[in-house]
Amino acid sequence: MEPEKKGKYASSPEWSNITPIPLNDGSDSGAQPLATIAYAPEYLEATSYLRAVMADNEMSERALALTEDIIKMNPAHYTVWNYRAKILFALEKDLLDELDWLNGVSLKYLKNYQIWYSPSIYTIPSTNGERHHRQVLISSRQHFPTLPTGEPAFLMSMFEQDSKNYHVWTYRHWLVRHFRLWDSPQELSDVESLLDSDVRNNSAWNHRFMLKFGPRDDEPAGLPNSTTLPPEQKGRLDVVDEEVVDAELDYAKGKIVLAPQNRSPWAYARGVLRAAGRGVGEWLSFVSQFVGAEAESVKSTHALEWLVDVYLEDSEHEKKEEAVRLLNLLKERYDPIRKNYWDYRIRMVEGVV
Amino acid sequence: MTLASSPSRTPTGPQPGDLYVQKHVDYIKNLDSRRDELEYWLTEHLRLNGVYWGLTALHLLGHPGALPRDKTIDFILSCQQDNGGFAAAPGHDAHMLYTVSAVQILVTLDAVDELEKPGRGGKHKLGSFIAGLQDKETGTFMGDEWGERDTRFLYGALNALSLLGLLDLVDVPKAVSYIQKCENFDGAYGIRPGAESHAGQVFTCVGALAIAGRLDLVNRDRLGGWLSERQLENGGLNGRPEKLADSCYSWWVGASLAMIDRLHWVDSDRLAAFILKCQVSPFDTIPTLGTTNAVQDPEGGGFGDRPDNMADVFHTVFSVAGLSLLKFDGVLEVDPV
Repeated sequence: MEPEKKGKYASSPEWSNITPIPLNDGSDSGAQPLATIAYAPEYLEATSYLRAVMADNEMSERALALTEDIIKMNPAHYTVWNYRAKILFALEKDLLDELDWLNGVSLKYLKNYQIWYSPSIYTIPSTNGERHHRQVLISSRQHFPTLPTGEPAFLMSMFEQDSKNYHVWTYRHWLVRHFRLWDSPQELSDVESLLDSDVRNNSAWNHRFMLKFGPRDDEPAGLPNSTTLPPEQKGRLDVVDEEVVDAELDYAKGKIVLAPQNRSPWAYARGVLRAAGRGVGEWLSFVSQFVGAEAESVKSTHALEWLVDVYLEDSEHEKKEEAVRLLNLLKERYDPIRKNYWDYRIRMVEGVV
Repeated sequence: MTLASSPSRTPTGPQPGDLYVQKHVDYIKNLDSRRDELEYWLTEHLRLNGVYWGLTALHLLGHPGALPRDKTIDFILSCQQDNGGFAAAPGHDAHMLYTVSAVQILVTLDAVDELEKPGRGGKHKLGSFIAGLQDKETGTFMGDEWGERDTRFLYGALNALSLLGLLDLVDVPKAVSYIQKCENFDGAYGIRPGAESHAGQVFTCVGALAIAGRLDLVNRDRLGGWLSERQLENGGLNGRPEKLADSCYSWWVGASLAMIDRLHWVDSDRLAAFILKCQVSPFDTIPTLGTTNAVQDPEGGGFGDRPDNMADVFHTVFSVAGLSLLKFDGVLEVDPV
């Protein structure tokens, strides 16, 4: 399909020595292809010039400008991002300028996705051209021996639009490892400000865990000793800083009080205790306040489940009958949608499983 | 995802609350005629995946012939690049995601032999493309030569290679060890080591372990507990704590639970009811106001991410696959891996 009028590339003297390569969508084989794609003429023209310069592996200013033009029309075109990175390195461009430009693209892209598309389209997984491009640039030690100063602020502006954006968090995690930022005050204060504005931000909780307890050796992992210990024990640290552990448990408590049914700080606290090799029993009095004397004023199913685990943890705390009674409350009254899960746990206690 | 067994029966005449099989079949068949829509050409980078999603949904709905087999194969082959891998659409770079979809489509259509035709290089060339993307140090897989790493690629690689009988081309134990590093303090898995737990990534990690025969490494009770907590009061499943339910997690969560024998830990009646509500039904003829998209297709068909949202092929296949896991009448049974 040829554009009807001469496009801006076809009429540009700068591009006159290039013979565009039209899209081969299989239709030249004679059959009407299953998935032809209707393109805007401008897009079709630009990509036909892209194919031509890519075929020559041209590293030039005009090719760079062409990639920008295409990205503006379709930032999801993953091939063009790869080509752009190659050109930037080949021409030794200032990568800080590129990051500035990229900040605008990313913010606009995120916004446009939210405005143009139904939320359902937004959740479709795909390649992440612009975020990956960023990582390709910043991973150049030669250009970025240390964290570019504007990076945390840029990430916070991304989080302003979507504080749980999975790919932005994953990228931030990569930054922490790449520049060894576990103890950076900025990392922790950003996480805290995000949790202050939304205590239910599970992504921020995960990032906090990673900063405080994530393995720092060359092999990244979500948990300490994730491959060396059996499934029931992994997550346990070799060396425990009890002060950090106590401070983190206090932090979690403070957040649980604000929203007792919020799952994230409960899971966080369990992870902290596991890392420290300490039991759940030390929280007996803390969790009891969310359950009430006879489990008559339950403010949190997580507290109820925690109490069950305390009663089953060791001989000091053991109260099997009470544990079964609480599990039955969860099953019948507080969390019946997971009836079969609670049944399974009851059968475990009774030794049937 | 492959078919596990023969069809059960198809329900008769759509009633509110039913599964509108014919509407969904028509919806998928007509996807390609919506080329004038902006979203269509902006989602070019998903085209090959889209064909896979549509085709799989049609197979599960018992209408495998609704997309023309020959044209589908022609399109898939037109996406193959010189390095043996497949791109999202003709003229793009080869990438793991689309290569895996291509293999799944060719297997579904019983057309893997097409690769052996002159100029295609055979299934070994394709397998070598995938194997070449394994990171020899860590065991994970990259999406393409640019090195984005994601457990989706790892699962996809093992899935495609096992379908082709070529698993011996890669270092499976190393891949398994990488997956273990993706486990988090909450007992679930993320996209890379240290990344937040996410139900989609749980599926890719558990699926890869299942293919590798290493489900013994999973703490089933803990992971099953986390997965069952994804069910919300409306019956639907979310992908992470404190997020909204979304129909596609019916598959990601459901299949993960099925692989560790704990699917019954969610309430299947309430889940099925939620999925059915995500259908764009022939009874909804009024555009949904207040959402970002102004008009729904009055013809209906397809599934959206949640009730009253627009349909798309991605949520359609994973809704149908979710119903399949629940052994819903009118949907063929699926293999959760």
